[in-house]
Amino acid sequence: MIKNTLMKTLSAVALLSIGSPAFAAGDEISWGTTLPRGLDPHVVYDNPMQEFAINLYDTLYRYQNNPPEVVPSLAESYTVTEDGLTWQFKLKDGVTFHDGSPLTADDVVYSFQRLLGIGKGPSGAISSVLKSENIEKIDDLTVQFTLEEPYSPFFSVVPLIAIVNEDLLKANEVDGDFGAGWLSANEAGSGPYMLDATTSEPQSIANLERYDDYFMGWDENPNPIEIVRINNIQENSTRVLALLRDDIQMTDGYIPPDQIDRINESDTARIQKDESMRIMVIRMNNMRPPFDNLNFRKCVSHAFQYDAFIDVILKGVVTRNPGPLPGNLWGVPDDVKGYDYDIEKAKEYCDAARAEGAPLDRELEIHIQSAQDQTTQSAQVLQQGMSEVGVNLKLIGANWANLSTETTDPSTSPDMWVHWVSAYFIDPENWIGQMYDSDFHGTWKASSYYQNDEVDQALRDARLETDHEKRAELYKTAYRQIVADAPDLWIYNSVIMRGMSKKLEGMKFNPVSSGAEVRYMHLAD
Amino acid sequence: MLLFVIRRVIMIVPILLGLLLLTFLMVRFGGGDPAAAMAGDAATPEQIAAIRDQLGLNDPIIVQFWTYLKNALQGDFGVSVYSNRPVGLDIIQRLPATLELTFVALLIASVFGIVFGTLAGVYRNSILDHFVRVTSVAGLAAASFWIAIMLQLIFSMELNILPLRGRLPGDIPAPTAITHFYLIDSLLTGQWNAFWESFRHLILPAVTISLGGLATIARFTRSSVVASMQSEFATYENAVGYPKRRIVFPYVLRNSLVSPVTQIGLLFGAFVSNAVAVEAVFDWPGLGSYLVAAIFAADFNAILAVTLVIGAVYAIVNILVDLAHGFLDPRVAERM
Repeated sequence: MIKNTLMKTLSAVALLSIGSPAFAAGDEISWGTTLPRGLDPHVVYDNPMQEFAINLYDTLYRYQNNPPEVVPSLAESYTVTEDGLTWQFKLKDGVTFHDGSPLTADDVVYSFQRLLGIGKGPSGAISSVLKSENIEKIDDLTVQFTLEEPYSPFFSVVPLIAIVNEDLLKANEVDGDFGAGWLSANEAGSGPYMLDATTSEPQSIANLERYDDYFMGWDENPNPIEIVRINNIQENSTRVLALLRDDIQMTDGYIPPDQIDRINESDTARIQKDESMRIMVIRMNNMRPPFDNLNFRKCVSHAFQYDAFIDVILKGVVTRNPGPLPGNLWGVPDDVKGYDYDIEKAKEYCDAARAEGAPLDRELEIHIQSAQDQTTQSAQVLQQGMSEVGVNLKLIGANWANLSTETTDPSTSPDMWVHWVSAYFIDPENWIGQMYDSDFHGTWKASSYYQNDEVDQALRDARLETDHEKRAELYKTAYRQIVADAPDLWIYNSVIMRGMSKKLEGMKFNPVSSGAEVRYMHLAD
Repeated sequence: MLLFVIRRVIMIVPILLGLLLLTFLMVRFGGGDPAAAMAGDAATPEQIAAIRDQLGLNDPIIVQFWTYLKNALQGDFGVSVYSNRPVGLDIIQRLPATLELTFVALLIASVFGIVFGTLAGVYRNSILDHFVRVTSVAGLAAASFWIAIMLQLIFSMELNILPLRGRLPGDIPAPTAITHFYLIDSLLTGQWNAFWESFRHLILPAVTISLGGLATIARFTRSSVVASMQSEFATYENAVGYPKRRIVFPYVLRNSLVSPVTQIGLLFGAFVSNAVAVEAVFDWPGLGSYLVAAIFAADFNAILAVTLVIGAVYAIVNILVDLAHGFLDPRVAERM
């Protein structure tokens, strides 16, 4: 009787394995990543949205290649007046949205005004220099922007702003919300892929279909992917397992270092590595003693084991980045080495700081992001180094949502905290400008509360300067001074590690899209 | 009996009000700034201040609570600072997934728990009894998060007989929505493929959640059965020569069920909170994974509303259990 029951159980269990194949053959892929929290590119602006929007929306100009350059997209050309105030963009003719309606200057004007009107997402990048009433349609294919003051990074910011379908959004507007309620679970784009809103589920599944009439055409890719199923996968372990099982053919760009060998050694998948522009920083609150003391900050800068952290803990998957700009961007001087791990020097600086009366003996706090292992690891490495110079550093668990708000005020901002600065747009302004110009005090990016009048002047001149060479020189000057003042610790520049099926080919990387543009990809036979 | 029922039902109101007030205060004073969370990374301080005004965060806390209560009673739980959609809408979409998972887990825990517990109790000190007692301790002790990943590794990766994650495979759309429970809907509309796949996808997450409860129910059932088997009427029936089955089913079991039934009701609340970790591992699109994302994003409206919903469901289930208790054992209803 036992044997009978056992046989029955085993057959039942075997039956369970009959099901749909893990992955439908042909031109479909599943992509396991983090879906943006809402699908409106004018409301949400973070890494998941950058990867999502690049597939569904277009912008006037766009980033391409690594190191990235700005190339025409919806616009074919632009002009800017001598004084840097008036920009005109000429649009390509014949571009259509997914619903077939033409994309014209009206849509461009609406998109920028909508962004400024909603006041979220990437609007902060232009809200101080562009007013809604100064965006005009000159003719069906020409749009003009008149800035309040010259702002050279404007051109680098234009690729962030998705052009949306005015008529479609106006038709779905509720109580003057610019259609934001509707767009958080739908799309209004012109990009290479369209959203199937009926089978998609917010924050869980997004099913995309190829848009055959995409204005850039499909000539370069004769066998493009027809269907992309984006699955929101919360846990790293599930994401890796799904890739190994070939349930998904692509992951996000943040595979943990300890999974890399496992994926590369599998039959089904590999890791795609690309150097990005996302720097890891340990911030110090320069307004709170002892961090207001230059010698103490230098002491801390020499007490961190940069090479050990990168080579041992992170298994060498990132590159050392000693200053406030990614090493692969322009504006970085060649002659600045940055700080290295040197306990003897650290002790000297700390002794000097103590002699000047800096309160080194109180317990210092470093706030980490509990969801990001590397912040904990780097804090522990620093804690160990600090203990060697006799300073007590305590780790405090926190999360991004709380930290990004607490750091907007120097009195609530922690002593130290750990975070990254991503490539929101490719211009030194995104890093060194918004991190160290005292005008930006009150934002998380500038939470070292660094104040130096010469640096302020250099950064502000660079913002207004239209000559590229002169801008580069100004940023280099600022860079040198900032490194000398050691307001923060700059650790590494990210390398994007994306899990991909061995069959998936054609990926093209740039630091803004992180290589997530499916339109270049195809499956090997 | 009627008075008993009415008294139980009315109790929900003060319970929920208290829950709401407590959660509201915890969330408001727990740190984090919903205005900044809503504004996003690239916001200027002016934008954040404008949003703070919009959300009414500068009003005194009593006013904020009163406004929230008024709106909640009309079904308006505010907008998710995370997704910009009405929270009520998010919850309605995600609640059925969690309920389906929890009900199936409860079914597994109840059926197998009662069966194993009864067998263990009837055949006391047999090998089966020892097996049940040992594994039930293991089931209680192991963390559900760990069990979830272990099951994935064994049944999905090594044996490849069950799917890894999700409610359905990517190429099968959700069955036509009637109850929003995939198992029921697919049966009602005759979509057999969807039914079979929903069933397969439910197994691992439901089993993970059920294990702790299964263990508890088995142990409680076993104790009750042992006690009943030693009672005078069972001894008499045994002496007189009734076959074991006739003793157990109509007599012993009816008396033993009161305790496990109470357990089942209490377990429902435990299962729903267990669902949080399990949903995250299996990417089950329910309230649990929604809550996890909301907490990390400091999405106060979502956190409040989900807590309220879970609390309400828990309170309702407990009252139903009390009622069932009253029916199974009429002496209880009279006492209360």
